[in-house]
Amino acid sequence: MLFPTIDFAIFFAVVFTVQWLLVPHAGAWKAFMVVASYVFYAWWDWRFIFLLAASTGIAYVGGRLVHPATGTRRKVTLWVTLALLLGLLGWFKYFGFLAVNIDNVTHALGLGRPLPLVTVTLPIGISFFTFMAISYVMDIYRGVLRPARGIDVTVYLAFFPHLIAGPIVRGTELLPQIRSMRDPDDVHYVEAFWLISAGLAKKVVLSSYLSAHVVDPVFANPHQHSALEVLFAIWGYAVQIYADFSGYTDIAIGLALLMGFRFPVNFKRPYTAIDLQDFWRRWHITLSFWLRDYLYVPLGGNRGTEWRISVNILVTMLLGGLWHGASWTFVLWGAYHGVGQIIGRQRRAVRVARGLPAEPVGRGRVAWARFATFQVVCLGWLFFRSDTLGTAFAMLSRLVVGWGSSPLVTPLALLAIAAGIASQYLPDDWLTRGLKVFADRRPVIQGGILGLVLLAITTLGPQGVAPFIYYRF
Amino acid sequence: MSDEGGVPYDWSDSGSDHPPATDAASERHGTSGHPASGRGDFGDHAFWERLPFRGVPWRRVLTVGLVCFGLWFLLDAPSLQHSAQVSPLGTRRTVSLDVVGPMAALSRTLGLSSVVGSTDRALGRTPGGGPALAAPIRKPKPKPKPKPLPTTVIGTPTSTTLPPLDYHPTPARPLKVLIVGDSVGLDLGQPLVNTLASYGDVTTFLDGRIDTGLSRPDYFNWPAELQIDLANQQPNLVVVMIGANDPQGLVTPDGSLHFGRPEWDAAYSARVAAFIAEANVAGAHVLWVGMPPMQDPGLDAALRHLNGLVQAQVALAKDGGASYLSSTASLGDKKGAYTAFLPDASGAEVNVRTPDGIHLTPGGGARLAAAVANAMQAQLHVQLVPGAGGTGTGRRT
Repeated sequence: MLFPTIDFAIFFAVVFTVQWLLVPHAGAWKAFMVVASYVFYAWWDWRFIFLLAASTGIAYVGGRLVHPATGTRRKVTLWVTLALLLGLLGWFKYFGFLAVNIDNVTHALGLGRPLPLVTVTLPIGISFFTFMAISYVMDIYRGVLRPARGIDVTVYLAFFPHLIAGPIVRGTELLPQIRSMRDPDDVHYVEAFWLISAGLAKKVVLSSYLSAHVVDPVFANPHQHSALEVLFAIWGYAVQIYADFSGYTDIAIGLALLMGFRFPVNFKRPYTAIDLQDFWRRWHITLSFWLRDYLYVPLGGNRGTEWRISVNILVTMLLGGLWHGASWTFVLWGAYHGVGQIIGRQRRAVRVARGLPAEPVGRGRVAWARFATFQVVCLGWLFFRSDTLGTAFAMLSRLVVGWGSSPLVTPLALLAIAAGIASQYLPDDWLTRGLKVFADRRPVIQGGILGLVLLAITTLGPQGVAPFIYYRF
Repeated sequence: MSDEGGVPYDWSDSGSDHPPATDAASERHGTSGHPASGRGDFGDHAFWERLPFRGVPWRRVLTVGLVCFGLWFLLDAPSLQHSAQVSPLGTRRTVSLDVVGPMAALSRTLGLSSVVGSTDRALGRTPGGGPALAAPIRKPKPKPKPKPLPTTVIGTPTSTTLPPLDYHPTPARPLKVLIVGDSVGLDLGQPLVNTLASYGDVTTFLDGRIDTGLSRPDYFNWPAELQIDLANQQPNLVVVMIGANDPQGLVTPDGSLHFGRPEWDAAYSARVAAFIAEANVAGAHVLWVGMPPMQDPGLDAALRHLNGLVQAQVALAKDGGASYLSSTASLGDKKGAYTAFLPDASGAEVNVRTPDGIHLTPGGGARLAAAVANAMQAQLHVQLVPGAGGTGTGRRT
């Protein structure tokens, strides 16, 4: 079920009401939330609820077995559990990619084709709930979390606001909330309605417009477009993917808030970053910190030689790139960010050794650092968005030799890109003042304001909103 | 294995997640620095906790939400009604129309629909009908007075006769190709633009519309769209790949026609024939590319039937300038059945179909585009000479 649909609006109105009515009854609430979340997931393809249930079962049993075990048995249990969880992810997400690449290599070497070639439908959200299940088991292994009841683990992994595209909420964050009684007289609706409205506007209006009118036509046929159009398409995609993904998680966080749950923040004005390391502290934060805690730290993290640290960064970012999809373009994108972070780390070390501040100081230098970082990130997005490496290099080539007219470069496209970037520099005070005006109104007036906002979004948006980009991850 | 805590399903927090060693352990493992603070996208905890807004009872929130949706529903009801009308036939459509109909009538009676209607007009859309249906994205060039379309009856050759497309493109007289299609047609169209761009003296224009077909002109009016494209582009050749969404009920002034019935075949065939005739009248030949084999047996059978209907109409219009290219030879296995992988010239396996079993990957699209370019030369006798210089534009919605 997609968030910006009539189906979901009806679904949520029912779930919102029933779940608050059931708050005094913990068992009934949890059972209802499991059913509601599985219905939500089954709306897309009912067969995959068994996959979600299997992941939940593996995480639950794995957690129960890891907790009391000690020594080698504890490690083996953890590895078996992780292998099972990653095995499901690997089959659905990576088998086709691996099989065709391995087969082509063995075929070229005259060794035949050992693996069957199949295309496997990617279950939506599998990367998200698999990573949440892994964090649950690893947190138990590390001693920062105790095994939860089966029903709690089921709610934790299936809770519908985060089920499709995150944020990746850890057991330490969500399980205590699932176990605690929420106050039905303390719903933070002002924040929630703002997040949902802003998320819808970003997704339905901004992202859809840029996708249809600038990004898709150019990436589909780069040879037919001018350098300026290619540049706009790259910048446009940077804004599109931000509006699309941060819009989705804004809606998810807002929906959870309406039901009394706090999700972690997932974006912190990413295009104000002053370098790549800063960017990854602001972009898809729940993933980047997941990679840090469950991949980079186990690899050795910042311990060891500078060479070893660089290898750890590169491996983490490579696998982070591959997490986004089974394609060489994602691998290259991950490698690009890995190398970028290593260079940034060295640059910072050199500055400190010379007695200079590690980060730029002064408005001019900060502004330049932000501008330069945005361009570096955009170059990465070029590989991320391109369906093949050939498309990416064709885009780069057109940037240099693409003379000609630029009909796609319109004032509206420029406005959309500028608005997407400028929104990240708005002062918090502006929002606070605006929300206060809203909060001081009577409920009927508030509903009227929101109704008009919703009307504006649906009227300005296209018919049929494209699926969220991050669904397929 | 029993659940810990002992008290089943209460809100007690007795089963705390954090053992006493939490802080030390999390620090050791680097899990202490989760960024729940700092200046965020108006969504981080620290920002919200600084705000002076207190929580309210959930019933008040429900009231706000219901007023919001009620007002939106009333103001937007005509658009919602239109969306329901153009959706596929079935129970969902019937129920939607029953629910939305009275509200749309009320909206119109109160004059509220003009709010959305005015905005639609300002955006160049069909008022009350959602986004542009067959309306041009840009202003069309002045076009010559349209010639009357020939009356087309299934089983009867069209009355327009064009000479065979025996074309020698030159810089002064480039070959103008219009490509129209649904989402599968787009999968072909985008690589085809690139393929034809590698030949000199060819200009292409791609008009692809996802979720469209000839079955439901009330949802998207392809004949009207083609009329605009023909006037704007004045092509020599129209490459058509439409049909993936068409195995569904038709809505006609006389009622609904269900897919699989002879009367459906007759009505659909007439639409195909009229589509071909429309291009022919404008002086353009048609190369209709059939739908490839599908993974789902039901859809595969339906589209094979559809391909047969199209092929028959192309045969009838042949003298008028239409050709048919089956995509099975390019995208089917040795038996002509669905396959997701096919070897390229070097023997390496290439994934040609997306996991939905319907659409084409870029590799599959390029493979079919090469077949179309070959057909243009072999069937239509277009002399395509390799060399840079081709140009292409288009839109995708």
